[in-house]
Amino acid sequence: MKLVTAIIKPFRLDGVKDALESAGAAGMTITEVQGFGRQKGHTEVYRGKEYAVAFTPKIKVEVIVEDDAVKPVVDAIVGAARTEKIGDGKIWVTDTDTVVRIRTGEIGADAI
Amino acid sequence: MSVLMTSMLHAATVCGKNQAYVQNGAGAAVATGTGGAISCSDPSWVDTGDTAWQLTAATFVGLMSLPGLALLYGGLVPKRWAVNTMMMAFTGFSGVLVVWVLWAYKMGFGVPIGGGSPNAWTYSYAHAGGGLGGFFKNFFNNFVGHPQSINAGHAQIGQATLYANGGADVPIQMPTPALAYFQFVFAGITPLLFLGSVLGRIKIQVWIIFVPAWCTFVYTVNAMLLWGGGYWAHEGALDYSGGYVIHLAAGVSGFVAAWVIGPRLAKDRAKFVPHSLSMVACGAGIVWLGWNGFNGGDPYFSGADAATAVINTNAATAAALLTWVVWDIFLSKGKKATFGGAVNGMICGLVGITPCAGYVSGSGALWVGIIDASVVWFAWTYVMPITMRKVDDAMGVAYTHGVAGLVGGLLVGIFADPSVTIYASDGGSPIHVEGWLYGNRHQFFLQLFAGLTIIVYDALATFIILKVIGIFTPLRMSDEDCEVGDLAAHDEQAYPPDEGYTAVGASSGSAS
Repeated sequence: MKLVTAIIKPFRLDGVKDALESAGAAGMTITEVQGFGRQKGHTEVYRGKEYAVAFTPKIKVEVIVEDDAVKPVVDAIVGAARTEKIGDGKIWVTDTDTVVRIRTGEIGADAI
Repeated sequence: MSVLMTSMLHAATVCGKNQAYVQNGAGAAVATGTGGAISCSDPSWVDTGDTAWQLTAATFVGLMSLPGLALLYGGLVPKRWAVNTMMMAFTGFSGVLVVWVLWAYKMGFGVPIGGGSPNAWTYSYAHAGGGLGGFFKNFFNNFVGHPQSINAGHAQIGQATLYANGGADVPIQMPTPALAYFQFVFAGITPLLFLGSVLGRIKIQVWIIFVPAWCTFVYTVNAMLLWGGGYWAHEGALDYSGGYVIHLAAGVSGFVAAWVIGPRLAKDRAKFVPHSLSMVACGAGIVWLGWNGFNGGDPYFSGADAATAVINTNAATAAALLTWVVWDIFLSKGKKATFGGAVNGMICGLVGITPCAGYVSGSGALWVGIIDASVVWFAWTYVMPITMRKVDDAMGVAYTHGVAGLVGGLLVGIFADPSVTIYASDGGSPIHVEGWLYGNRHQFFLQLFAGLTIIVYDALATFIILKVIGIFTPLRMSDEDCEVGDLAAHDEQAYPPDEGYTAVGASSGSAS
């Protein structure tokens, strides 16, 4: 099993969610996060005072999938989140050792 | 003369630093009252009670805009549009006020362009012959007033004049600024109402130009036609506090503006979740109670009709709010009462009773609330989904203000009750009006035609103003900026996080 983590532009979330469902993802978890990569920050101005803001609001999407579903899931996210402009985000995939469904106690792929 | 002298002495003794003013103004002003009765610095035509109520009522109405509508609409939009929405409220209010004192007040409430005399009702109207040509001549002669500033000192301390419905020249016992400011807060709130139609994509620069232009070319015409002694006022069409001048106008103009400017992003049209119902509650509450000034201030004196208008306003609103909730419980998809629905119902009641407030009885007011909220509920539920496909009137202003205002304006033609006396009148007979229910069918059709005039004129004029502005600049933000919202439009956000900010300049923290 793998954990697919994606950092995306907040406005793309609806599209990513739909694409993930079409790609067969059974569920997902999202978090409002802030960060920067190549996009760097932006400037905000409050009452004439200028601030450099390093971190830009993003959404972190986490999906647990079986190994053979990684490619379609990653493709789905890339397809839905890409605007071809800087700041589109990143995806990484990590090994996941155990998954448990709390309600039933099922373990592993059954719990996804 | 001795009375005058006594008065002056008394005034001078009491008033201290106002002494010079009293003496300067004494020849014209201090004519009545015995020593003890005269007020300290005012000319005799000032009724301090009326003036105090007018300024208080005006402030209440101002609070409906700021912060009322800023909070109401600010809470109804997603987080990323909150600053932009509130900014539109504050800039719109300011834009109207500046043109109001420079030229617009007199365009709405001054001397009509068609004649040198302020007595508009002495002109020859359609009834007096002249056929269609005569009608148009009369109509456009009494269409808008001469632009004129009210900033001169002598203009500010002068007595307010007003040419009321039906040609009755009602004495206004207060100085011009009390009336001008009261009328300003009405002019100021109207664009703030229809900002709900265009938010979420209009460029703020365009808004800042559009609003004063709209006030100048559209609002003043509405005000003159129905209130300022213009054509429909003369004909006897009724609009107690702006069901047509303000709410129908806002609904029509917002709808047309939304169409000309174009829709929000498709995603915003599909999903535009209010980010703070608590803000909506604060704003809506201020709007409701502020309406006591809105309708209670319109008799221009703090008497029986003001009190009637206030309680009628609240009764209609309560009935309308509950009516909407009842329809929600029985006919909505979820069969649940919703807070957003209650606020919509509240607004329908307030808007519906606005043209009627001091003309109808208490039971008339309840009916107005129930009927208005019901008509708008069905239009909102069954018609709006169709119009929204073509025109993205974001907050549905065409319904909660346009339809609600039109229905209210028609209902006054039905429910206006002759036993509700508007002016007890010093000299002449008491002034009152009658609707269809009381045998005056004519009133209903007057209301209908006055309403149609506002719809046609406001739609056309709004369209032209925006098309002209559109020659010089795009009316809307880029799609990319719309995705970001406040940060793209203003470099501000409503709820910035505490961390992650580095001041630029002194500490020169560059973005890593």
